[in-house]
Amino acid sequence: MQKFLYRYVTPLLGVGCLIMLALIVTQRDLPDRLLNSANLQTFKIIFISVILEAFPFILLGVLFSALLQVFVTDELIRKFTPKNPIAGVLFGALLGIIFPLCECGMIPVVRRLIRKGMPAYIGIVYLLAGPIVNPIVYTSTFTAFRGTPEMAYSRMGLAFVISVVVGFLLYKFMRKSPLKATPALHVIHHNHNHKHSHSHSHDHDHSKNGSGFRGKGASILSHSSDEFFEMGKYLIFGAFLTAIIQTVVDRSTLTAFAEQPFFAYLFMMAFAFILSICSTSDAFIASSFNGVFDFGPLLAFLVFGAMIDFKNLLMLLSTFRVKFVIILTLLVAVLTLVGAWVTEVLI
Amino acid sequence: MIHHLIRAAILTGFAMFIVYLDRTGEMGMFIAPRMELYVKLSALGLYAAAIYQIYAALQKRIGHTAPSCDCEHEPSPSVMKSILIYGLFIFPLLLGFLVPTGTLGSALASKKGVNFSTAVKLEQTAPQSPHPDLKPDSKTDGSIDSLFPFDEYTEAHAAYGKQLYKKTLIPVPEHLFIETLTTLDLYRNAFIGKEVEISGFVYREDDMGKEQLVVSRFVMNCCSADAMPYGLMINWPKAMNFANDEWVSVKGILSTAAYQDHDIISLDVTKIERIHAPDSPYVYPDLDFGL
Repeated sequence: MQKFLYRYVTPLLGVGCLIMLALIVTQRDLPDRLLNSANLQTFKIIFISVILEAFPFILLGVLFSALLQVFVTDELIRKFTPKNPIAGVLFGALLGIIFPLCECGMIPVVRRLIRKGMPAYIGIVYLLAGPIVNPIVYTSTFTAFRGTPEMAYSRMGLAFVISVVVGFLLYKFMRKSPLKATPALHVIHHNHNHKHSHSHSHDHDHSKNGSGFRGKGASILSHSSDEFFEMGKYLIFGAFLTAIIQTVVDRSTLTAFAEQPFFAYLFMMAFAFILSICSTSDAFIASSFNGVFDFGPLLAFLVFGAMIDFKNLLMLLSTFRVKFVIILTLLVAVLTLVGAWVTEVLI
Repeated sequence: MIHHLIRAAILTGFAMFIVYLDRTGEMGMFIAPRMELYVKLSALGLYAAAIYQIYAALQKRIGHTAPSCDCEHEPSPSVMKSILIYGLFIFPLLLGFLVPTGTLGSALASKKGVNFSTAVKLEQTAPQSPHPDLKPDSKTDGSIDSLFPFDEYTEAHAAYGKQLYKKTLIPVPEHLFIETLTTLDLYRNAFIGKEVEISGFVYREDDMGKEQLVVSRFVMNCCSADAMPYGLMINWPKAMNFANDEWVSVKGILSTAAYQDHDIISLDVTKIERIHAPDSPYVYPDLDFGL
């Protein structure tokens, strides 16, 4: 019990203090703002809509991850992943064109790929580039910014460049696996390898041996539903905080920053982080800021928000080591800032 | 085993919740129509997972170990932690089933800030309207073209503007809400003096005068987290008679008003009346506009 207190109550108090601070900074009264019914409605609608919207993508992600686990052998992944780091990074950056997944579905898949022997730096490149460099997001960005088609091109281009740069940096400097330690790993792998060789010799699942198919079906469902719970708790917590922030924080207090060009970039990146919307729909939000903000900050919004956001950060923390996530976030933030600014100057 | 059963219950709960939203028609409050199919499909996935959890629970009961690897996702042994985690999943379900769903209104609009000028950027790229002084009545078809100059990006708006221009009363329909407002804003010189009809909920900014209000709608793309309020400023001496979040239908003459250092388009009211809230409070951008 005492351990529980230390472990959870302290961070909870910390969160409470942060909320209080936010209220003081924005000069709000606590009871009036948090408990009136209009805000409760707003909170409920945003909270549940974020969860509902993410469900199909998370389910797709965990299903895809489970299929990888059950049907694709480690050897196959090793064979298909380029050995050469340059080819590997490019492979990771363009993988999204073949397997378009948005950021919520991405994390379980990338974790599975890394566990199955894909080099971690390539996995991370896919994690960053995948939600942007894919046909679905290209189309939605193009549609939202029909007036400025350069936006769609620059978004794809910048995301590609950033993920490639991050990939090379990781290749050069990352030594340990970025995944959280999993002691049981060896046993599992052995298990699955065994299973695979078994089913291979029997040609296919629906062979005379019925347990092969049943076993695989059950295994897919087992992986999917377990992983759904693992990702789901971070999704729900992220959606919860996102909804609170959207209900309480006033946009106009933030747009005051928009006057200074440098702060405009930071503001749009912070805003993308807070909103935590899916990369397939964020272009429409960005286009509503067309006119308030210049090209560069909007580009920063589109690139940073799809790579890292609040909901997604929590999900990253469930999978990767804390230090790694912090470094990755800062790296992506700095690269986006510089990249978007350079693009703005060039165009 | 107990973990499997709790998980089965939660998964079923979410699947039921999606079905419930669909049956009551509340789904539209949360998710745009083009996303609804995917959400419904995910209810199927949740059901399948729930059935598996029950199956796994039974297997354990009989003494079989589940065929899964149960590898890295073994549920935590700490009871408190489990309660916390499952509580997190149950919380949105309770909220969803027990708290009645309202609509987004002026409370959120004031947080997000209403967008008045949808076409600021477009306007800069479009050449200035060359004949602002010509009277609208004296137009023939030939000079309509000169009222609606366009480049490659505003071509669709110009074509739509020409259609609207021929009407005596310009409606702002739900299915082309932003597109119509953008066109009116973009070619305001052609449309000033025309009669426009719009409906939406009443909203006010702190710094607006007593004779002003905004008739506004939330524009949703995917889910209500990305809903943004768009609106048209209304000038009317008795604007104070209408409270925030009341639904109104307004007819008025298009003019411009200065607001926060910008000239925005606004309506001088000729007729205003209360209406019932529409079935869906949201409007959606027309992705095929101009294609």
